[in-house]
Amino acid sequence: MHGWMGKIRKIDLSTGRQEDLEIDDDLRRRYLGGRGLGVKLYTELCDEKTDPLSPENALIFLTGPLTGAVLTGGRYQIVSRSPLTTTICDSSSGGTFGAALKRTGLDGLIITGKADQPRYLHVTDDGIEVKDAAHLWGKDTPATKRALLDETSSKASVASIGPAGENQVLFAAVMNDKDRAAGRGGLGAVMGSKNLKAVVVNGTQNVVVADPEGLGELSAFLDRLVDKNPVTGKSLQVLGTSVLVNVINAHGMYPTENFRRGVFNDAEGTSGEKIAETILKAKSACYRCPIACGRTTRTPNKAGEGPEYESVWAFGAQLLVSDLVSITEANYRCNELGLDTISCGNTIGCAMELSELGLLPEKISWGDAGRVRRLVEDIAYRRGFGGELALGSKRLSEKYQRPELSMQVKGLELPAYDPRGVQGQALSYATSNRGGCHMRAYVIGPEILGQPCFMDRFSTAGKAEIVVLLQDISACVDSLGLCRFLQFAMGVDTFKKMLNLVTGLDFTEEELITIGKRIYTLERLFNTKAGLTRKDDSLPPRFLNEKLEEGASRNRLVKLDEMLDPYYRLRGWDEDGVPREETVRELQI
Amino acid sequence: MQLTRESLARMIDHTELKSHSGEKKIKSLCDEAKAFCFYCVCVNPIYVPLSSELLQGSDVLVCSVVGFPLGSTPGRIKAQEARQAVAAGAREIDMVIHVGALKDKQYDRVQDDIRAVVAASQPHPVKVILETCYLTDEEIVRGCELAVEAGARFVKTSTGFGAFGAFEDHVRLMRRTVGPDIGVKASGGVVNFKDAWRMIQAGADRLGTSAGVAILEGYTLHKFAPSAWLLPEIPCHNCPSRHAKLDKLPKGLYTYYKKRCRTCEHLETYNRFYD
Repeated sequence: MHGWMGKIRKIDLSTGRQEDLEIDDDLRRRYLGGRGLGVKLYTELCDEKTDPLSPENALIFLTGPLTGAVLTGGRYQIVSRSPLTTTICDSSSGGTFGAALKRTGLDGLIITGKADQPRYLHVTDDGIEVKDAAHLWGKDTPATKRALLDETSSKASVASIGPAGENQVLFAAVMNDKDRAAGRGGLGAVMGSKNLKAVVVNGTQNVVVADPEGLGELSAFLDRLVDKNPVTGKSLQVLGTSVLVNVINAHGMYPTENFRRGVFNDAEGTSGEKIAETILKAKSACYRCPIACGRTTRTPNKAGEGPEYESVWAFGAQLLVSDLVSITEANYRCNELGLDTISCGNTIGCAMELSELGLLPEKISWGDAGRVRRLVEDIAYRRGFGGELALGSKRLSEKYQRPELSMQVKGLELPAYDPRGVQGQALSYATSNRGGCHMRAYVIGPEILGQPCFMDRFSTAGKAEIVVLLQDISACVDSLGLCRFLQFAMGVDTFKKMLNLVTGLDFTEEELITIGKRIYTLERLFNTKAGLTRKDDSLPPRFLNEKLEEGASRNRLVKLDEMLDPYYRLRGWDEDGVPREETVRELQI
Repeated sequence: MQLTRESLARMIDHTELKSHSGEKKIKSLCDEAKAFCFYCVCVNPIYVPLSSELLQGSDVLVCSVVGFPLGSTPGRIKAQEARQAVAAGAREIDMVIHVGALKDKQYDRVQDDIRAVVAASQPHPVKVILETCYLTDEEIVRGCELAVEAGARFVKTSTGFGAFGAFEDHVRLMRRTVGPDIGVKASGGVVNFKDAWRMIQAGADRLGTSAGVAILEGYTLHKFAPSAWLLPEIPCHNCPSRHAKLDKLPKGLYTYYKKRCRTCEHLETYNRFYD
């Protein structure tokens, strides 16, 4: 077999029972791997009645056919049901873990049940050992990694949870390698609910490629595509993802003070340019990545990875904190504790607005960086008021009877782009299957960066079409095992070429888009069964009713109604957002 | 018009003209041109021999620029550059006109330049770069007429090094002026399929771009979401008047463009409170 390793191991932590799962060719052809195959397997193992934090919930680690075979192929996907949103959820991460998992001879792991005490999995060529992790429980992620590399092999790759996952914070992340995060949706809490501290992978097998010579020739061309593209070849390489701080702020859609404003006066001081001038130590890259968007940084007190764009925002403009060192150290701490920085900062911002209105039992002021640092800690350990924040902004705002102050979709906190300045991204947020997320379809590409072509950011024309297309391509790329940044530099033609050279199969561009559609609709079917309807494809009322007062997106509102019906029609879903029978049939779900 | 991926590829002059581009980039450029069946590679004269060698036996031609990018060298030097490029394997020549002479209405000087290069390039076609960003509409029309009279086979918008690149308004004007038998090449700022499509619709039959691969990938993508690429846009988005900047243009030309904004038919609809 080429591309895939051909085996997925299922392990029940309650009983210790393991079995290999046969994935037939047809299923691979229709869902590829990663997110697609993960969602398919998940929906066969669990249903809408499965409690995300129960032993019955499955936690699936999956790679794609291109993982370990081509540039940026270090990625893996975790698929499960999110305790934060209760939607189906996948969370992706880079580093080297995905490629290392494949070297053990497995395409992935399906983990069910609950261990009777803290455990970790040691995966090698010889199989999986379930090992005691009592001595690791309570440790942060760097300490866990160090201990596990000492215990196993310095060549191993580790994915673990920190205290936040152990304490089942609803937005706990799974961290792997050096500060890489499968951050969104709280899948670290699912791992914690299973008493599973870590997965250590260490194998020696190689991915077998159908046409190594052809792939070798293509590789030089791929590198050149990355290098020529202004985003991947320049901006991300030189300034990292934080290059966006000044760009998005200039467009008046850099969310400030819990999305009340679109311009942050101190943006320049927290920008990618400022990082390069002050705290940057070196660039860092995931497995075989020519972009190297990662930033290794040092503050007067600590060293670590990041902050990347979303984290700069979450602990900066969102909370009115202007001090880059404080922002960076809050980001470091989230990595160590295993927290999703977006949900964490966004939720604290919601608390600050509630506090300003006098609705909270304690005062949390805008710009109070010291308080933010302590809150991050309290959230991870569920101490005091941190315990309330650990449930996310939706539950927090509902408790204090101001649900409209939570900047989320379907319970997942929104990232760093105010949708009032970008109609397509607004539709993408609203229709995202895992909630408020910019990665289901990154419409910032066409609406701000002109990739793959410029679209008028304030117009709704053509937005349903581009959102559907980008959602489909993104689902496909997530299932191949590639980094989504490649989408700036190359299109579906190139992804097809890579896939065919690696697998020896004959995928077409149309087939890849159809696979994306199939995955997106399957996710939607799960959410529909779980009770989500059209009303959940919405945005916080702030974006529909309150105009921004300053900046280049002033006087704008999201015109969601103009886009939602065309979107459903293009998807083949009914007016309530439910996939029609003929759509399900046509997509062979 | 019926556009296919193949016909689009054959409209593209795959271009690498930056002063800091080395041999490695030229090799990649030629590899891509062969792999994607572009019409030609467009390179600086220094890289004509290398490109010719790399493209030997393929259908991809070599195009050399001449008098590039300012157009301010004497005609005989431009002719010598062209002669040398043809001897080294160039099969198309893109020359920059004497922009200053055109603006001074020294039309003979402009034509003498073009004639010299056309003669030196025989039998290969010459494309005349007008550098439209520095011209009024009247000057663009006159430049096109002079080029055609002097034997040019194409008129071309831009070097890519001027104040701005190709705009569909200029391409449309050039096509209208030269008629159907002379080629129009749009170059400068054509970076994706949407740009390419706009230029072709305006009358371009050749595109000068370093983003040929991205344009073809965009062509494939656009079939899955045509309206995202092909919907009409707000005219100001793609109007040279809107994009005219005082720090990039002579003050007279800047004023010329802004005056056009004030008398534009779209003023009330788009331009009054245009964000």
